[in-house]
Amino acid sequence: MSTLVSDIALGLSVAASPAGLFYCFLGVFLGTIVGVLPGIGIMATMAMLMPITYHIDPTYGLIMLAGIYYGADFGGSTAAILMNLPGTATSAVTGIEGYPMAQKGRAGPALFMKAIASFVGTSFGVVLLAGFSVPLARVALKFGPQEYVALMTLGLVAAAVIGTGRSIRSLASVALGLAIGLIGLDLNSGVARFTFGMTEFYDGLPLVAVAIGLFGLPEIIANAGRTELPKVQEGNIRMKDMMPTAEDWRRSTMPMARGSVIGGFFGALPGTGGLVATFVSYAVERRVSKHPEEFGKGAIEGVAAPEAANNASVQAAFIPTLSLGIPGDPVMAIMLGVMMIHGILPGPDVIQSKPDLFWGLVVSFIIGNFMLLILNLPMIGMWVKLLKIPYNLLFPVIVAFTCIGIYSVNYQVLDVFVLLGFGFLGVGMRALNFEVAPLLLGFVLGPMIEVYFRRALVVSGGDFNTFIDRPISATIVTIIFGVLLWAVGSAAWKGLAARRPRQTRDA
Amino acid sequence: MRYVTERMEDLIAGLVTAAIGVFIILEASTYDMGTLRSMGPGYFPVILGSAMVVLALIMILTARPNDMPQPMGMDQLRGTLFVAAAFVAFAFTVESAGMLVSVFLVVFLSALGNRNTSMKSALMLAAGTAIVSVLIFRVGLGLQIKAY
Repeated sequence: MSTLVSDIALGLSVAASPAGLFYCFLGVFLGTIVGVLPGIGIMATMAMLMPITYHIDPTYGLIMLAGIYYGADFGGSTAAILMNLPGTATSAVTGIEGYPMAQKGRAGPALFMKAIASFVGTSFGVVLLAGFSVPLARVALKFGPQEYVALMTLGLVAAAVIGTGRSIRSLASVALGLAIGLIGLDLNSGVARFTFGMTEFYDGLPLVAVAIGLFGLPEIIANAGRTELPKVQEGNIRMKDMMPTAEDWRRSTMPMARGSVIGGFFGALPGTGGLVATFVSYAVERRVSKHPEEFGKGAIEGVAAPEAANNASVQAAFIPTLSLGIPGDPVMAIMLGVMMIHGILPGPDVIQSKPDLFWGLVVSFIIGNFMLLILNLPMIGMWVKLLKIPYNLLFPVIVAFTCIGIYSVNYQVLDVFVLLGFGFLGVGMRALNFEVAPLLLGFVLGPMIEVYFRRALVVSGGDFNTFIDRPISATIVTIIFGVLLWAVGSAAWKGLAARRPRQTRDA
Repeated sequence: MRYVTERMEDLIAGLVTAAIGVFIILEASTYDMGTLRSMGPGYFPVILGSAMVVLALIMILTARPNDMPQPMGMDQLRGTLFVAAAFVAFAFTVESAGMLVSVFLVVFLSALGNRNTSMKSALMLAAGTAIVSVLIFRVGLGLQIKAY
């Protein structure tokens, strides 16, 4: 217990310092802007802010980037509720119930409940993070290469088959990502792989350019030519009109609790995350509700639960990232990239060797969460005004800042072309219904998983049984097969259901 | 023939995946394979390429009828082309002409990607952004990009 107190005191000394508070505020403030405005992704924002992170202590850099991430998810559903246009991908579900509420003139209570649910979810996620990371990292110190291979495979398989609907395509994305990750010099033999004579690629492709290309560029392209935007359903958005009724509170409490738990689970599982968590929690609420007929017409449970789930998952996603060094989603991959730029090797010993970084982050999440509550409740009117900035004047500036941000990472013009190339890869993959997130996860894990895979087989003398002889590794392998079986089973079930002439609608 | 056209999306996806997989195998087979006990640089990529080919075969064999992918509308095509041109313009000018010129070009070109933006506002936005970004990134953050 006393260690927890001293850990938190250490965290406070970092996060509550003037610099800590400043970068935390900058992060959540920019995050809210990004979250509110549709068409600017978290990825693009991170690219724009890359230049700042080189100049400051990595802890503050991470505090700021993390603030953008959870700030964007906190504010992400404002546009979903007011315009039925999600500001971030994960807020799409909130719009299903939030927008009908706004149309009925209840935008205020919807926004209010969204903020409260986000706050509750975040708080729950931070508790999970503080509680589980340290023991997990301690266990992970005993991990051999077998466990790492198994864990990363689990993350990749989970990213591919859970919640994507097209598992085969996503597995192909993972394989392609892993292969792209191998581009560069092979550390064991010194052979240049897939570089085609380009010495610039010997260190591998630049992570930031790849990530922004895959996620940021398609987003900008999809919105750049758009000439019509849905109207903002303003209603009454003054503080006193926002108070939910006693009925709203009563109906939202349990959904928030359930959403937090669901979000915490999917967030901590590498490979899945907020998107899956919001869909699952929405589905659960619809199942357990006493008024299923209200869903789709503005049921407040459908705002509270996904918001709590989404924000809990964001915090929980830091658990595998910080305690194992395995990024669970693309944003986490960027965070690890920033750590590596500053010479911090992600892995289970980060918590012990850099406790100020870990606990500083945890405490900054708590502080940032309160800042967000203030930003999203009394100051909500400001964000609603922000929604009226015409996108056609906004995105050129984003494109410019993205260019500068990418270029400043290595001062290499080639990176801009890498970004463009992966942007078109992303657009093409979307057109053929491939998911890009598994590809990026594969790209990040590719080099690591190969190193551990080789090492495991060197240790065991080429015997694959090594993966099931060790208890922890065997458990993870069993879970992987369970997930795969479940995926095959549910695909077969859907195939059968589709063949039946009249299929039930809410399968 | 109808079988093919209905399932076009799945079939294209499968063929593209297979092609990439075969390419990876071909390229990786020029590297040393090594043995299971001590893998060479070619081993892991060959596994990945083979996995992609297998997945591609499953995609092709289980292809189901789908709506054809929607071609891009004119507005979106325009946005895409101009944004791409903006990135290329930045790449070609940032080192030779400096930040002022390249940022101006990026903003001007991408602004024209939306047909609601008039030439005049595109010019003004571009000039403004160029000056502001020099102030932020060159003067404020001290990035090693010359202003002009």
